[in-house]
Amino acid sequence: MEVSVIRNSQARICREELAYRVNKCCIGSEFISIKARNRISLYGETTRRNEIKKLCCSQRSIRCEAVVSDKAPFFKSTPRTRSLKGVRLFVGLPLNTVSDCNIVNHTKAIAAGLRALKLLGVEGVELPIFWGVAEKESPGNYRWSGYLAIAEMVKKMGLKLHVSLCFHGSKQPNIPLPDWVTRIGETKPGIYFTDRSGSQYKECLSFGVDDVPVLDGKTPMEVYRCFLESFKSEFSDYLGNTITGITIGLGPDGELRYPSYQTRKLSDGAGEFQCYDKHMLAALKHYAEANGNPLWGLSGPHDAPSYDQQPNSSAFFSDGGSWESEYGDFFLSWYSSLLVSHADRVLSLASSAFSGTGLPLCGKLPLLHQWHKLRSRPSELTAGFYCNGDHDRYEAFAETFAKSSCKMIMPGMDLSDEHQSLDSLSSPESLLAHIKTCCKKYGVVVSGQNSTVPILGGFERIIENLKDENTVIDLFTYQRMGALFFSPDHFHAFTEFVLNLSQFKLPEDDLRAEKEEDNGGGKTLTTSMQAA
Amino acid sequence: MSTVPIEPLLHHSHLRHNSRIYRVTRGFVPCSLNLRSHFTCNKLHSIGSTVGPGMSLGFRSSKHRRSVAIRASSSDTAVVETSQSDDVVFKEKFPVQRIEKAEGKMYVRMKQVKEKNWQMSVGCSLPGKWILHWGVSYVGDTGSEWDQPPEDMRPPDSIAIKDYAIETPLKKLSEGDSFYEVTINLNLESSVAALNFVLKDEETGAWYQHKGRDFKVPLLADVPDDGNLIGAKKGFGKWPGALGKLSNILLKADEPGAKVQEKSKSSSDSTKERKGLEEFYEEMPISKHVSDDNSVSVTARKCPETSKNIVTVETDLPGDVTVHWGVCKNGSKKWEIPAEPYPEETILFKKKALRTRLQRKDDGNGSFGSFSLDGKLEGLCFVLKLNENTWLNNRGEDFYVPFSISSGLPVETETAQASGNTPEAKQEVIDTAVTDEIITEIRNLAIDISSHKNQKTKVKEVQENILQEIEKLAAEAYSIFRSTTPTFSEASVLEAEADEPEIKISSGTGSGFEILCQGFNWESHKSGRWYMELKEKADELASLGFTVLWLPPPTESVSPEGYMPKDLYNLNSRYGTIDELKDTVRRFHDVGIKVLGDAVLNHRCAHFKNQNGVWNLFGGRLNWDDRAVVADDPHFQGRGNKSSGDNFHAAPNIDHSQDFVRKDIKEWLCWMREEIGYDGWRLDFVRGFWGGYVKDYVDASKPYFAVGEYWDSLSYTYGEMDYNQDAHRQRIVDWINATSGAAGAFDVTTKGILHVALQKCEYWRLSDPKGKPPGVVGYWPSRAVTFIENHDTGSTQGHWRFPGGKEMQGYAYILTHPGTPAVFFDHIFSDYRSEIASLLSLRNRKKLHCRSEVKIDKVERDVYAAIIDEKVAMKIGPGHYEPPSESKNWSLVVEGRDYKVWETS
Repeated sequence: MEVSVIRNSQARICREELAYRVNKCCIGSEFISIKARNRISLYGETTRRNEIKKLCCSQRSIRCEAVVSDKAPFFKSTPRTRSLKGVRLFVGLPLNTVSDCNIVNHTKAIAAGLRALKLLGVEGVELPIFWGVAEKESPGNYRWSGYLAIAEMVKKMGLKLHVSLCFHGSKQPNIPLPDWVTRIGETKPGIYFTDRSGSQYKECLSFGVDDVPVLDGKTPMEVYRCFLESFKSEFSDYLGNTITGITIGLGPDGELRYPSYQTRKLSDGAGEFQCYDKHMLAALKHYAEANGNPLWGLSGPHDAPSYDQQPNSSAFFSDGGSWESEYGDFFLSWYSSLLVSHADRVLSLASSAFSGTGLPLCGKLPLLHQWHKLRSRPSELTAGFYCNGDHDRYEAFAETFAKSSCKMIMPGMDLSDEHQSLDSLSSPESLLAHIKTCCKKYGVVVSGQNSTVPILGGFERIIENLKDENTVIDLFTYQRMGALFFSPDHFHAFTEFVLNLSQFKLPEDDLRAEKEEDNGGGKTLTTSMQAA
Repeated sequence: MSTVPIEPLLHHSHLRHNSRIYRVTRGFVPCSLNLRSHFTCNKLHSIGSTVGPGMSLGFRSSKHRRSVAIRASSSDTAVVETSQSDDVVFKEKFPVQRIEKAEGKMYVRMKQVKEKNWQMSVGCSLPGKWILHWGVSYVGDTGSEWDQPPEDMRPPDSIAIKDYAIETPLKKLSEGDSFYEVTINLNLESSVAALNFVLKDEETGAWYQHKGRDFKVPLLADVPDDGNLIGAKKGFGKWPGALGKLSNILLKADEPGAKVQEKSKSSSDSTKERKGLEEFYEEMPISKHVSDDNSVSVTARKCPETSKNIVTVETDLPGDVTVHWGVCKNGSKKWEIPAEPYPEETILFKKKALRTRLQRKDDGNGSFGSFSLDGKLEGLCFVLKLNENTWLNNRGEDFYVPFSISSGLPVETETAQASGNTPEAKQEVIDTAVTDEIITEIRNLAIDISSHKNQKTKVKEVQENILQEIEKLAAEAYSIFRSTTPTFSEASVLEAEADEPEIKISSGTGSGFEILCQGFNWESHKSGRWYMELKEKADELASLGFTVLWLPPPTESVSPEGYMPKDLYNLNSRYGTIDELKDTVRRFHDVGIKVLGDAVLNHRCAHFKNQNGVWNLFGGRLNWDDRAVVADDPHFQGRGNKSSGDNFHAAPNIDHSQDFVRKDIKEWLCWMREEIGYDGWRLDFVRGFWGGYVKDYVDASKPYFAVGEYWDSLSYTYGEMDYNQDAHRQRIVDWINATSGAAGAFDVTTKGILHVALQKCEYWRLSDPKGKPPGVVGYWPSRAVTFIENHDTGSTQGHWRFPGGKEMQGYAYILTHPGTPAVFFDHIFSDYRSEIASLLSLRNRKKLHCRSEVKIDKVERDVYAAIIDEKVAMKIGPGHYEPPSESKNWSLVVEGRDYKVWETS
């Protein structure tokens, strides 16, 4: 029905509208959504290819998943489980699941946890794979055994696995970058992000060295490529059946951003610019000279506040302050363009590495909701999100994701405005809504995550977000398994959350929907999947 | 090459009468893949011979020729079809374990060799590694403790076990003799009054006792009879079913006159002289379970010409084997009857399944059979039947043979074998598939509420079970993650992987709908026949709606109430004898009530003093020494480790960190489960030792329900109870966690808060800062056993009595709220009876359970009101409350002094 509308308005249909239609189609039942997407993509292929490109991509990713799930032997006979899986729920495994000596930590607990999750009806788990663990000793010397053991456990339990490839380190628990990278870092400190006072952020390489051969003659991008290839061949048995998705690390904590807070708490200030390492400064200088303002390229903004200062305490972020000046635009555009090109590089790399596996690729954005109510939104600026004037700061990123058919993971789906402290002028809800709209515009599929610490009222908020009719979120990853997760209080709440989730997907008295399904809805699904 | 692959080939040679056999079976024996497909029978034979003697190849072919000849002359099997190019779609060898009950007899013989030279012999006809574990009692000993016999009584190959027992192996007197025997020369000069023994089978670790106690052979007349004397014409309690088989002795086990009879026989003169000693020979049946490992090989092939599925089943199980089978269609595993024709020797069983007897193999080692089935079928389900009572299945599941290649199961049998892959790899995949299916099935049951509206209740129960299993797993994970030490062993990875596929739904926490009755008070021991008195009330308690009954501690005890246990294996107590106990348990089972035993594991009273005169040495069957006593209580000079909990100062506290102690306790609990029929435990004073040990005990004894008494003080400031009792309930929750959620705990917090709230009219205490119940029930409802009184707090002790006259408010609270409520005996048989009965019936009628949701609706100084699962509303306190009328119709069900309970109509 919806589809025919689209056909009629073939001639001039803007992307937003189309995306809106598509998303509206998805509401209610997954079957309908898949059918709808398939047909739209057909239309897209035959007519205006360019405009519909993103939709084709999302259709592709859907198709892959459908095929994957079809392989599991028990799905066919019990189509009802699918309705629960309208939102596929994953739970993150502990960050230190595999220790840096390549041993599985807490095996028994994880085994028990997996079993509990399976019984609960959770679709799968997310496994963070750290560069610093898998390629710890020397370049090209990969050790996957610990991670493979986990993949095997997950497979045996009949769960799915979403792998996050982490090119960053972690402070808590302590998982540094590979030893050999750390050794290089000692002699070439310029490979790390550096702030104005010269302190380095050693959990992630600077975006300035992406294409500079700093790692024993190789560029980080080349090293990442080898890492991905090795992963792909080692896990080939699991790709597509147990492993149903891959998240690629884009920066600090896997998120696409500058480490503008380094290790400080987010609530203190707006963060600092991280452009003071050798390579970034050189790039800035070069850019300034090319723009005919060589003096602007000598350093970063002099009037930005420090970490623990209020954003308004100095001139840069205040209304009418430097950020709105010509210099501000110059600097921030450059700073942000580096972030965009980093995203582009890594995502293209990953999408080419995994092309042919049919696995959906994901990347994570931060939810920089602090100081959102200030006009300058300084947290976004220090983290690298900027666009000249009133333009959308997230558009460039959504476009980049769309280009590589990458899904966007949005954290903080459990945050609600009412629980934020008034002083921080924050608004996670409106920011999230904004980014979701932006993604929709570019046909980027959004997946959800919560923030890392459980929040009061978080589960209710997550449900609201998942119910949101404007953006269909088909995958939610709950972070993360561990002592807190299994503590009686929290686990009880989580259990309730899972049950609620399945309930709202399966309304008890919606007999009509049930009939529809019985009347061969399942069959249509199978055939359309095979056709696709 | 092993000889294992012989069988498939042999078996096929029965079925096929021409040389095509070689092609058909090539999938089975990898190494001969090429030979079979290219060589004729004769050539194969010659090659076989040249390969060398002992190789099974040559052997096989000659055997094959012979069987061809035999079969050629016999009649054809109607439904078996042959084919030139069968494709194997499924091949699997399932291990099956056959538990065989070997029955035999044992005897005890007293014989006079010469004057003053007597011998006692114990013999056993069953094969095994039999050990006589024995000791003596001396004249003047009381109780059931053992002593070591005098040196000259010990047979030469005896080993002394600690200071109290001797172990002597039983031996065959001569080769070919069917009996194992041991003979003890009795020293009648010594003051030995009786011989005590149990028989132990070292192979299985099983102990064989007499009427649940030691065997006791009296050498004197006045040996006290605790019901276990032998040579006294008494029967065995353990094998009541087999008693009738014995013809040579009288077996009147439960006859009250037995004792008299014994006296008149063995020592009519009742003096201490040995004159009364008489020769006797007594035989008893004995049985032991022996497990045999066999296997069932199943091969399914698709025959392209006839498009039929041909399934061959063969096994090395001895005796007649019947396949009880059905076929599967449409993706379900429902058994259906296929269209005829059926294989030979097939009968239809109750229109539900087919039974086909397998043909015996010629060599007598097992049987085989073949089934030809329609190609459209999806699979074959079967179980094996050996005899009326013995069925074998595939680790708890039906054997399932899938036919369709598209079913997702790997079917490249041939390639797998050719490349040398082990069959285990395939087994794994199938296991996973099966596991997945089980889990999915379970989950569907649980989630799929809308399609089973009429079965809602059942679904709900399954859901409960799953939630419970989930909680248990989460608790286990929690306790490991919390103790931040990671495990650094590869072995544990493997172990965890190995046991993963089993999803079993059993836990020590019942169904979730349990209601407990404490079946005794502090005075119950006084009548001496409490079990019998309680038994009479079984119907009454069942009709009131109780599902679980908690019985008093059953062991011999220094104090009459039973909480100072001495000999754990002596279950004759002031509440009644072991037989009365069993009888009572049986009676309650008949009316559908599960029974909990009160297990006192923290402490145990000693039998003997050590050299310093301190009582810390134990006797009886668990004759522990002072290593079983914790080291940190100076009163008892234990040599064990420090206590893992608080100490109870009136008796030696048991050191549960000792492996031998734990092993003995586990054995004891399992024995009580089996012997008495207890369904679970109420665990006394669990503050005294680490909850992890409780987990160990619960895991070993697999109770249906277990609850621990973790009673410590709530927090007070200047004599006033604090509003926030989170620390108190956290301690209880921590203990539950230490047991990995295997046991629940009494909700002492809720009782304490109710005390103050009711007594001082401070009903605001009944909501915690988060708006939940303030007791354990607000934290972990499914593990909280709520109560308002027990034998310690109330009864004639009254250590912490519930505010008088306000008991019904307490019951209105716990019987409507989540958690598992426990009702005290005294309250049931009091004026409150009818009010309690209405509340119980409401709880059952409205299906309130341990995880019901509470919504606290009003909480003020003088009134507390809550709505539970949106179907029951309650208020306690003098203040006014009416349930909100807009959404539902509430009708008042029970009303009493300062409380009201409504239900939705």
